[in-house]
Amino acid sequence: MALNVLVVDDSSVMRGIIIKTLRLSGLPLGEIFQAENGKEGLEVLEENWVDLALIDINMPVMNGEEMIEKVRENPETQDLSVVVVSTESSETRIEMLLEKDIGFVHKPFTPEILKETITSMIGGLDGDQTTEGTVPSSGPDF
Amino acid sequence: METKLQRALYQAAVRIFEEICFMFEAPELEEEFKDAQVEAAASVEFSGPIEGRLLIKARAGLLSGIAANMLGEENPSKKQQQDALGEIANIICGNILPAIHGSKKVFEVTSPQIVKTENLLSKEAPTATASVILDQGRADLMLYVHETVVLAKES
Repeated sequence: MALNVLVVDDSSVMRGIIIKTLRLSGLPLGEIFQAENGKEGLEVLEENWVDLALIDINMPVMNGEEMIEKVRENPETQDLSVVVVSTESSETRIEMLLEKDIGFVHKPFTPEILKETITSMIGGLDGDQTTEGTVPSSGPDF
Repeated sequence: METKLQRALYQAAVRIFEEICFMFEAPELEEEFKDAQVEAAASVEFSGPIEGRLLIKARAGLLSGIAANMLGEENPSKKQQQDALGEIANIICGNILPAIHGSKKVFEVTSPQIVKTENLLSKEAPTATASVILDQGRADLMLYVHETVVLAKES
């Protein structure tokens, strides 16, 4: 199954890096959607089928925490797999986020870490569904 | 004399430039980059148990190198270059905060802002500074903390 992914980050450069890393990770990817903040992200979710959302925390207009709350409140999206990709370093805040049934990836990150976190959030892949070979054992960090 | 906070700032910056931009320390270029003009500067502010900001200045070709390496594009646009510099400031700030006040405290970090070079002069003395000489340019970092800081006792 190819994953439709939504990347929500106010930095276009960081969205580019996340998408590049996703492709390097070898995960089976379908459509990739982008949004600059939580509000835009919710709009994308209303109009498209998304399997996985990668969400930053600190964003203008609507931050990642608020977006995740709204995703979990909506019966249409409450089961969406969510991974927070953030520079957040506070253990207290990370623990609070993890209580919302999400994955967490700290910036900077490697394709391996991203793949491992996503795979655990979506409940594993059916058989060997990776694409474009395997992730290098010591791939670049992003 | 180098403080623990300065060392933490320097080490965080070196690691992040290596891991994200594939740029490496090149102390032999220090003299060459000594008088290089500031190409752009970005800052992020943080608030929580203490407040402050991190300012980063790019010199000597660093600005275009950061975006090119992060995105894998030969000729990144000016917007991409500024965005990339801001993102580096954001990541360094996120990684240095636990060194300032421990990993349990919660901070809010603002989105990065580009700082006009004419606005770089500040009467405020930075709490810690670090100058990182890299193989593709130079980064000067200034951390301003509006409170006396004792470096967190963490390994």
